[in-house]
Amino acid sequence: MEQKRELPKFAVLQLSGCSGCEVSLLNSEEWIENFDLVYMPLVVTSNKIPDDVEILLVSGGVRTDEDIHNLVKGASRSKKVIAVGTCALSGGVAQIRESHPARDTYMLSSHRLRLPDMLPRAYPIDRFVNVDIYLPGCPPTPELFMTALTNAENAKIAPIVCQECGRQKLQDMRPTSITGMRSGVTLPDICLINQGFVCVGTSTRGGCGALCTRPGHACVGCRGPANPYLNKEPKFVLDNLRRVFTRMTDIPEEEVNAVLDSPWLSLFLDQFTDYTQDDSLPIRTKEKMI
Amino acid sequence: MTTITYPLSRIEGHARVVIDIHDDEVFRADFQAMEMRGFSYYVQGVPAEQITVIVPRICGVCSTAHQVASVKALEDVFGVTPPPLAEDVREVLLLGQLIQNQATSLFIFTMPDRINADSIFEVAEAKKEKERQFSIAQNALRIRKIGTDLISLAGGQFIHPIKTTIGGVTSGIPRQKADEMIKTIDTLLPVAEELVDIYWEMSMEMGDRIGSWGDDEPTYYLASTEADNFRLNSNRLRLMCPEGKECQNFSPHEFESYLQLEDSDYSYAGISSFQGEIMRANSLAGINLANSMGTPKADAFLKRFVQTFGRPAHAIMFFDLCRGIELVYALEKSRQMLECDLEHGETEVGYTPRDGVGYGLVEAPRGPLIHHYEVEKGLIKNANFIIPTVHNMLAIRRALMVAAKRYVSADGISSELGRAVGRVVRAFDPCIACATK
Repeated sequence: MEQKRELPKFAVLQLSGCSGCEVSLLNSEEWIENFDLVYMPLVVTSNKIPDDVEILLVSGGVRTDEDIHNLVKGASRSKKVIAVGTCALSGGVAQIRESHPARDTYMLSSHRLRLPDMLPRAYPIDRFVNVDIYLPGCPPTPELFMTALTNAENAKIAPIVCQECGRQKLQDMRPTSITGMRSGVTLPDICLINQGFVCVGTSTRGGCGALCTRPGHACVGCRGPANPYLNKEPKFVLDNLRRVFTRMTDIPEEEVNAVLDSPWLSLFLDQFTDYTQDDSLPIRTKEKMI
Repeated sequence: MTTITYPLSRIEGHARVVIDIHDDEVFRADFQAMEMRGFSYYVQGVPAEQITVIVPRICGVCSTAHQVASVKALEDVFGVTPPPLAEDVREVLLLGQLIQNQATSLFIFTMPDRINADSIFEVAEAKKEKERQFSIAQNALRIRKIGTDLISLAGGQFIHPIKTTIGGVTSGIPRQKADEMIKTIDTLLPVAEELVDIYWEMSMEMGDRIGSWGDDEPTYYLASTEADNFRLNSNRLRLMCPEGKECQNFSPHEFESYLQLEDSDYSYAGISSFQGEIMRANSLAGINLANSMGTPKADAFLKRFVQTFGRPAHAIMFFDLCRGIELVYALEKSRQMLECDLEHGETEVGYTPRDGVGYGLVEAPRGPLIHHYEVEKGLIKNANFIIPTVHNMLAIRRALMVAAKRYVSADGISSELGRAVGRVVRAFDPCIACATK
């Protein structure tokens, strides 16, 4: 007990998100021993973030006026802010862009008496507060959480997902069309691009252990761009993917382009590079990225 | 008029309870979802086959149920029937989620209420003097982890799983991994039973202390598990009348004839009813509608529950006890299923996409979940998510009213009200991320 009082104070602030990051954090139990959890409404009765917090984890995007208030207040009481998950870094998959056909109906139906108003979009948290460490992923794995909490400075992250995938890239297996998800059979041990799947692991930040691609699901890019594409417009990531498909497949360019521009991929890919279009956001250097 | 706002912790998502009191009388008790997620809007225009990756993100706690319901809805649109092996792997996946969810709700969310602690970690400290109970927190997390490990095994990863795809699953469960899991379950099943027993005792003590189990009037109950087959990868919904008879049995295609869905003006969450009548989903509904669980230890707990409290049972806190029965069942059942060969055989079948309308049903930990899609030119034209928590919204509101009336009188507002509000809401284990459109 005596010892426990000296543990660094640790708080988890959840803005607008799905709680997936918190659920993942709960699976990396080691922090229980290393920190004094002072605020995490999901598991502890707690109504406000106390002063002198050592580490504040923030998950979720900034979606309501109340989110802004809680974020700014929380960060002002904390020494170090870690943004965790795709939503905190980008607003998230729960995003309704200016061009979205359903945007007007959504905005019209998102007001209630006595409740916070929804903002016109979901913002990344570094639009409002200074962020010390970024931990992307939807959600980040428990191991990545532990790295961010205890060893951020020496983190070793695989540059791209392919490096952790273990599926073999074959020279002579060149698909001529996109398989999408409709082949009916996924061959084990062979690169998903060789099988015609739109896998973006070649441009996506590793560290996840290739959790999706190993059992046979294409990478959707939830950890965002690998280091070479940080702070660059979406075009750079997409161009790299185009190059990969030209090199590894005989799929017609129009077909590849149609998929890369589809709303599904853009939900994941654009959101990470989206911030480069917004001058009010700070540059995210690779030193700050887990 | 006095308005009291109770922020809520130890539930999924952002919600609060607002109670209006006028002349010592409770005028209104609202359960408010604080944000509008908006998934039914974002997915409009998305290529249909890609929606299965997006919708698990509705909720990180319930992502498994959303993924399976989504795949089933598209299989309905495309006219595909997945092979039996895939159906079994999906069942293991859903059982894993039930274990994870019920362990979280029982031990992390609601056990602290039993002894007025702030968290499970405090429960551990408060009970330290008793050797048996010292490791409650640690054991609770170990049980919960069986659930997440099962989801990883059957779903690829334990949040936003990916192995369930249209036409089947990308791969089965290797024998060696299944055997490791069976070993873990064998070690921890007795621990889970003991935890459920401790929980039961703590609940009885709490019931005595506060003099109530959260009495409320009988309601309708909605579940999609069968009376003698508690399969979560379900096909039909059943409704029990307040007096205890099963009065409706319908397929997800027919849901609009039975369930009335509306927006509310006091919350971002919707509300649903059975033709205007209050109903309840979640554990108590499944247990009230079950003859047997089909596994020995869970059946023993079910028998004890029915003998002690009768059937149907209606008090609010029974939801929590029923979660314990489901937890034991899911551990036993997943062990049974892992003994079968889930590795060899056809895992997925091919399909041709087409336009149309489809419905996907699963029994999520909080009750029946339906995804309803309209696909036009290969794109999602409309998506409708019929959410278990929404089925409970009217019941939660009424239960809050009952609790508020109990603790507000001419003498003032009892300090117990804040705790009662938390207990009532947590009994329903609402999921706020899911509950808004």
